[in-house]
Amino acid sequence: MPDVCLYFQVHQPNRLIPYDFFRIGEHAFYEDDGLNGEVLSKVSEKCYLPANAIFQKAIEDSKGRFRMALSISGTVIEQMAHHRPDVLKSFQDLVATGNVELLAETYYHSLAILHSKKEFERQVDKHLEILEDTFHVRPRVFRNTELIYNNAIAAQAETMGFDGILAEGVPWVLNGQSPNHLYRAPHVSQLKTILRNVGLSDDLGFRFSDKTWLEYPLTPEKFAGWLAKAPGDVVNLFLDYETIGEHQWKDTGIFDFWSALPEAVLDQDIKWVTPGEIVDIFRASKEYDCHWPTSWADAERDLSAWTGNVMQQEAIAKIHRLEEEVLAAKDPDLAHVWAKMQTSDHFYWMSTKGGTDGSVHQYFSPYGSPYDAYIYFMNALADLQIRLKRLREDKAIPEPVPHEESDGISSIG
Amino acid sequence: MNRLRVLKLGWEFPPLINGGLGIACLGLSQALAKHVDLRVIVPRAAPDTQFEGFELTGLNNLRVEELQTVEGKYRYESFAQIDRVPIHLDPYDISETTAEQIRMEPGGEIRFSQTTRNQLEQFKMGELYGADLGTKVVEFSKIAAKLALLTEFNIVHAHDWMTFLAGVEVKKATGKPLVLHVHASQYDRAGADARGWIYDIEKYGMEEADAVIPVSRYTGQICSGHYGIDPAKVHPVHNGAEPVEVFSTRKKFPEKLVLFLGRLTAQKGPEFFLEIAQRVLDVNKNVRFVMAGTGERLKPLIESGAFRGLGGYFHFTGFLNKEKVNELLSMTDIYCMPSVSEPFGLSALEAAQFGIPAVISKQSGVAEVLKGALKADFWDVELMAKHIIDLLEDDELRERVVKQAALDMAASTWDAAAEKVVAIYEDLVHASVR
Repeated sequence: MPDVCLYFQVHQPNRLIPYDFFRIGEHAFYEDDGLNGEVLSKVSEKCYLPANAIFQKAIEDSKGRFRMALSISGTVIEQMAHHRPDVLKSFQDLVATGNVELLAETYYHSLAILHSKKEFERQVDKHLEILEDTFHVRPRVFRNTELIYNNAIAAQAETMGFDGILAEGVPWVLNGQSPNHLYRAPHVSQLKTILRNVGLSDDLGFRFSDKTWLEYPLTPEKFAGWLAKAPGDVVNLFLDYETIGEHQWKDTGIFDFWSALPEAVLDQDIKWVTPGEIVDIFRASKEYDCHWPTSWADAERDLSAWTGNVMQQEAIAKIHRLEEEVLAAKDPDLAHVWAKMQTSDHFYWMSTKGGTDGSVHQYFSPYGSPYDAYIYFMNALADLQIRLKRLREDKAIPEPVPHEESDGISSIG
Repeated sequence: MNRLRVLKLGWEFPPLINGGLGIACLGLSQALAKHVDLRVIVPRAAPDTQFEGFELTGLNNLRVEELQTVEGKYRYESFAQIDRVPIHLDPYDISETTAEQIRMEPGGEIRFSQTTRNQLEQFKMGELYGADLGTKVVEFSKIAAKLALLTEFNIVHAHDWMTFLAGVEVKKATGKPLVLHVHASQYDRAGADARGWIYDIEKYGMEEADAVIPVSRYTGQICSGHYGIDPAKVHPVHNGAEPVEVFSTRKKFPEKLVLFLGRLTAQKGPEFFLEIAQRVLDVNKNVRFVMAGTGERLKPLIESGAFRGLGGYFHFTGFLNKEKVNELLSMTDIYCMPSVSEPFGLSALEAAQFGIPAVISKQSGVAEVLKGALKADFWDVELMAKHIIDLLEDDELRERVVKQAALDMAASTWDAAAEKVVAIYEDLVHASVR
């Protein structure tokens, strides 16, 4: 009987105002502070606070046998500190139980690894810092934005000293093998790759409230029974935290389900474990050879959610092209503004995919269309470039020589 | 000599307008009113709008009782056979449309049917260019003919294809000479290959007309060449431009600004503007390009701009109101109009009023007016780009172009246009008296 490893992603992006052409050059604040505060509050009331309460209680009721992991992005920690300190406190209390492990990621929930190792490392370090300051912990396991992963990213995580890394258990890479084991990427010596069990995770994340699903309604006991029958060492359930109460609304019974699941699993004699624990408990005997970047997004499970069309490609390339210039300006505020524009959601909203995935992209978008998302982003980017130019002139810094070479995994993958 | 009495048929009229047609009709009407007695009939007028010097009738404000005395006095000529015309007509759609349901009444003619309240109601609702455009055009023609029988006038003057049927109908009902004003043709909107009922109405109308007034020699060539109209009755008259209050705004960014302003449709050549921008940016990064307006080409244009890597230097504003347009003009350095086919191109004149030098396509009417503007064939993006680079870098050239434009502007008034139109009226009226 396998153990169960539960991890939730907690993240909110900094949405931009409808930044039209007439603002370029004079309006230096790009973010919609009001909207961001509003969304955070809404999600806090619908998800973060009640879910934290459920798991706090589960830990107490189980006398510490319930354990889980969270990855909380730097941007959402900032938003909570600014708009909802009470929500941040609730997360701090949860982590303080010692039963909730935190994972490392990029501070800005960005795609930096695709473009620049240096910027990627800067953002991971910055995230480690804010976790240290806010929660007084140092993660051993890394998870990249939206589980973006390949061999090169695994190697990079090992170089940075992590013991484990999370990834999507992509069927066409697993090639018939079970995701319920730890794996090893080629060319790493220590780092273990922890794969998401796609089927069981999506039962909770997507199918839970689907009345046409044959297994509807899903009860905690039924689900715990499935876990008990699963093969392998450990079933990894990786989900967005907002699944509880936001994607699956309260009236679906999602809160009752999660309130009862910790106990139902323990009743089956299954152990709750965290990523930091399983890398010590289990061996990674098999190789997981993943050349192309994979992710947990969209049916394609690749990068197409963020880089699928020319608008996304251009926006990402252009924001990263400013790296050298921004960092050379030695203006921490400006660097922060720039880095927040790297948050993957900006590019996610520019997706022009149709079908179910397309509607998910639009559901999360604060804009009328992917084209608006692109236009506002590029206008804000133009303003950022003007600010950089002015800074350069003030400080008499020579104009940087643009070089197109990227040292992200797009070139080393 | 007695003042001529003119019955004018229009479609858009300020403040209810869709594009340049309404603005031109108002400008010309105001200037004409100084010379002739003028009554203007349009499908819809704002109920409380009064204009000095002429009477404006919107069918939306008409009561059926006003038509009672002429009911039954006349039978239709032009559209006797058309019972219904297809809906979902888009004048900018290049696909062909034909009258699907043609029905002959027993006896081969249809009596003047009584105008019902319902028929008048339709001019109060919906869009002027909505799905029922065809029905509105036919209904407008019937009612205009009835109103004409109630009006004393010497000449009827119709503006663009929506009113051409009405113009012909009025001519047939009253025997008065017909003048058709061509502000834009289906050739401009939908390309040289466009055929269909709008083209047919245009051709039929111009054939029946006693005089055709295109807004430029360029459009005149389309009337005679493309529609096969006798050049002897084609008399181009350039539009005027209302003086606008110009001001200048300090740009908030250091780069120069090149502006494209117009509906984002193939006719306006927005794709060429992207290509031009790319060529200019290749050699001069000290410039921003703005594409103002919206249209069915917007999304592909945004994607094409991203593909070319122009983002950050090439900006889309979407639809802008007049105030925003003027704000934009007040900070623009170069105006670019690469239209594939532009009957006139008033916006280039408006830009000239703001002291903006223009780079315009040779396939435009305004190229005949702005003698100093830098010109190129719409497809010659290399030359267009060179013109823009020259204007960006050569202040002397810039000054020369702006100066010449100011001279040309001074001559481009509605009064000048009205005088030419009145001369055409007089020739026709005298000819019909002889």
